[in-house]
Amino acid sequence: MLGLLPVGFLDSAPVQHALVIGGFAAVVAALVGVPTLLRGQAFVTDALAHVSSAGGALAPLIGINALGGFVLMSLAAALGLEAAPPRQRAERDLQTGAVFGAGLGVAALFLYLDVTLPGGSGNAVGVLFGSVFLLGASDILPAALAGGAALALLALYLRPMLLASLDPDLAAVQGVRLRRVGLAHLAALTLAIGLAAMTVGAVLSTALLVAPAAAALVLTDRPARALMLAAGLGLAGMWGGILMAWQSYVWTAGHAWPASFCIVAVLIGLNLAATLGRGLWRLGRRGAA
Amino acid sequence: MTPLTRGAAALALAALALSAPVTSAQAAGTGPLRAVGIENQYADVIAQVGGAHVQVEAIEIDPNTDPHSFEASPKIARALAGADLVVLNGLGYDDWAEKMLAAAANPARQDINVQHLLKLGDDTPNPHLWYDPGTMPAVAHAVAEALAAKDPAHAAEFRANAKVFDAALDRWRQAIAAFRSAYPGTPVAVTEPVANYLVAALGAKVMTPAALELAAMNDTDPAPQDVAAQEELFADKAVKVFLYNRQVTDDLTRSFLDMAKRHGIPVVGVYETMPQPGFTYQRWMEATTAAITAAVAQGTSTERLVPGQ
Repeated sequence: MLGLLPVGFLDSAPVQHALVIGGFAAVVAALVGVPTLLRGQAFVTDALAHVSSAGGALAPLIGINALGGFVLMSLAAALGLEAAPPRQRAERDLQTGAVFGAGLGVAALFLYLDVTLPGGSGNAVGVLFGSVFLLGASDILPAALAGGAALALLALYLRPMLLASLDPDLAAVQGVRLRRVGLAHLAALTLAIGLAAMTVGAVLSTALLVAPAAAALVLTDRPARALMLAAGLGLAGMWGGILMAWQSYVWTAGHAWPASFCIVAVLIGLNLAATLGRGLWRLGRRGAA
Repeated sequence: MTPLTRGAAALALAALALSAPVTSAQAAGTGPLRAVGIENQYADVIAQVGGAHVQVEAIEIDPNTDPHSFEASPKIARALAGADLVVLNGLGYDDWAEKMLAAAANPARQDINVQHLLKLGDDTPNPHLWYDPGTMPAVAHAVAEALAAKDPAHAAEFRANAKVFDAALDRWRQAIAAFRSAYPGTPVAVTEPVANYLVAALGAKVMTPAALELAAMNDTDPAPQDVAAQEELFADKAVKVFLYNRQVTDDLTRSFLDMAKRHGIPVVGVYETMPQPGFTYQRWMEATTAAITAAVAQGTSTERLVPGQ
């Protein structure tokens, strides 16, 4: 199986780091994505992901790790949303939109300061769209800590999260503390966003959270199966994308395509395949009946 | 920021500057001419040619920031609108200035676009023209003619100053010639193409993959194959010196720097804009060439020309 991989692929240090950190990030993001979609929070995820770009831009200015910056800013935005619980569902969208806009405005400021202040990175493309091949051994520990914390929160609160997403009133009757569960979910979500942003950038991190979970929920209704499927699809998207980026070097005569594009392209391909596959399976069943 | 949005911002600023009242020296008819060098190395040449008759301002002077990503402010738009002479690099290196000048067209102002002066096509891949020994003498003579047109009373002085400037580059040209004959075909590694015209003048060869140089310059994702090729250059000691751009650094360039040091490859810090204080254009080029020579001859590193930058 490994013999099918192109020569030098697994020997390259940037590829090794990308496979390990990117693969872990993709699995964590996909797992957190499932309860997030069941709770109907795709838009909140997108907003928090975009707002995290402000943190990624702030990180070099205050001398912290980019992952810390991403998590810090999306957590701040999440707490801001949580501090003002909406009275109706439509109001949540309004609040999310407002936080979205405000966060991107702050990102514009920090990205500008990155370019113009001494010591800033000036790497706006990297903050927004990521550079998975720039990850190094020093990124492994922070990634493991953030991902481990997200998985721990998920393990502790998965049942109440799922119950609350399916029927909040029933969950409340059964003694589920909705507020605490909501906070735990937001914390796991921001950690997963930070981790995903580290690999494919703040803007594209939504794709790692939403695409595998969405494909999994197309294929199955059962949460446990959906979680496993999402993790597998996320990993396949990340590793497939890294392989595609490596191969693009050959197709483009050394020009190469950005890894983030390749990763998202494979993820979307898997999503389309899942939707098509389910449609064909249903057609087949109807034909048989 | 994309060039498109940057351009739009620059145009808006230029429009603002146009609506401001222009009270330049030329309008008053007396006092020194006002000139702007977009990069401080061009401002230095204007100052050397213009002497006491020209008041020069430089826009891009901070050696710790990346000029490629520079953005203009309303203050700069006003400086450009009130200038009698502007020297810019061209080739997209300072396209914000190009757009601003086009938007604030002023027939009385002399614009010298170094790219056009040297008749270089827009497809020229390396914009760092001032590292080419042929560039600044041509700029100095063009500046002298432009100043002479604005201030004919001092024309002879401007032309004489340009000749003095050109002659002052002899020491640099001699150092280049000495290197060429002593160390022909020296292999070098770089982070991006900042000093590549000088490398070519020295008869040396850049071994770094061209796509990797462009990835570092344009902040895009590097191909792992190119990263591996660069790392092999260090591990195999296949290069004699590593030219490290001090103004554009990120995790990738820093990892190359660590690797070069680990394998005992001498490092020379190179700059996009003229380091300050203590440098003229001539001294900067001489110091860089001397540092490269010392690296190849004695294996010594010169990571910085100025402490802390």
